[in-house]
Amino acid sequence: MPGIPTNYFLILSAILFTIGVCGVLTRRNGITIFMSIELMVNAVNLTFVAYARQFHSLHGLIFVFFVMAIAAAEAAVGLAIFIALYHHRDTIDVDEANLMHW
Amino acid sequence: MVELAVFFVFAAVAVIFALVVILHRNPVVSALSLVASFFALAVMYVLLEAPFLAALQVIVYAGAIMVLFLFVIMLLNLQHQREETTRPIQQALGYVFSAAFGIGLIFYLIKYAWIRAEQTTPFNSDARAIGIRLFEAYVFPFEMVSILLLAAIVGALLLSQRTDLRGRPTTGVDHPSGQNPEGAAASPRTGQPSFDAGQPSPAAASRRADPHHEGAK
Repeated sequence: MPGIPTNYFLILSAILFTIGVCGVLTRRNGITIFMSIELMVNAVNLTFVAYARQFHSLHGLIFVFFVMAIAAAEAAVGLAIFIALYHHRDTIDVDEANLMHW
Repeated sequence: MVELAVFFVFAAVAVIFALVVILHRNPVVSALSLVASFFALAVMYVLLEAPFLAALQVIVYAGAIMVLFLFVIMLLNLQHQREETTRPIQQALGYVFSAAFGIGLIFYLIKYAWIRAEQTTPFNSDARAIGIRLFEAYVFPFEMVSILLLAAIVGALLLSQRTDLRGRPTTGVDHPSGQNPEGAAASPRTGQPSFDAGQPSPAAASRRADPHHEGAK
């Protein structure tokens, strides 16, 4: 059974990563920027799994496991930062987050 | 052949919902589209012979992390807040740069990283194989991740605590930024009566204030 070529998954991953980059660059809503970052993390995960199957190595899969754990930690802390920002500024527009301006 | 059809259908689903995530103005729609995109990626993991990671993707990403996002969106009441449009120059530069980045990435993949010798033998990556590898070679990073998650819990609790601008915890829930200390009848932000707008019972007040006093010591 000849599966799907690994290249297809790599191209899909590149497209998803580019969409994530575009979201980070063009949006101002902090939570949407965060979701774009999650999108990029998932694109990289897809690349890891694709190469893991191509080279028959379990290391890639275990790295995906760690990336998921760290993405969870990052989401928890990042969303807490946005809650704190919202308490002080009444907005999560990242252009308003200039408390460390000087 | 069927596999290829499934791949293309779910690749289209993943890309379309990813586009909805970054283009839609309502953050709730963005979050739900991201969940759909993650489900499509789970299908990709099944096609890549990694069913364990597909289950993990659905449980951890679509289940846990996205629920956290939705809770925060609902908590901050952002679903009614329209995002102001970005400055046109920033938007144009962002699209141009990301398009150039994407074209460069795909060009690089096709030119330098194109895999010609496809792997055809099946790949055993069930939970048993991953678990054995995880608890033999990777047991130290695994424990480090558990400590990292604990640090993230503590950090999230500390950061999401209500504080004034000097970083001191404020007491009570009905004056968000510490500017109207004596319980106002209406929440200053929304104009709606807050949950305990009247006189809070002394027991409730002291219960609420207690952890903050401990934190201030």
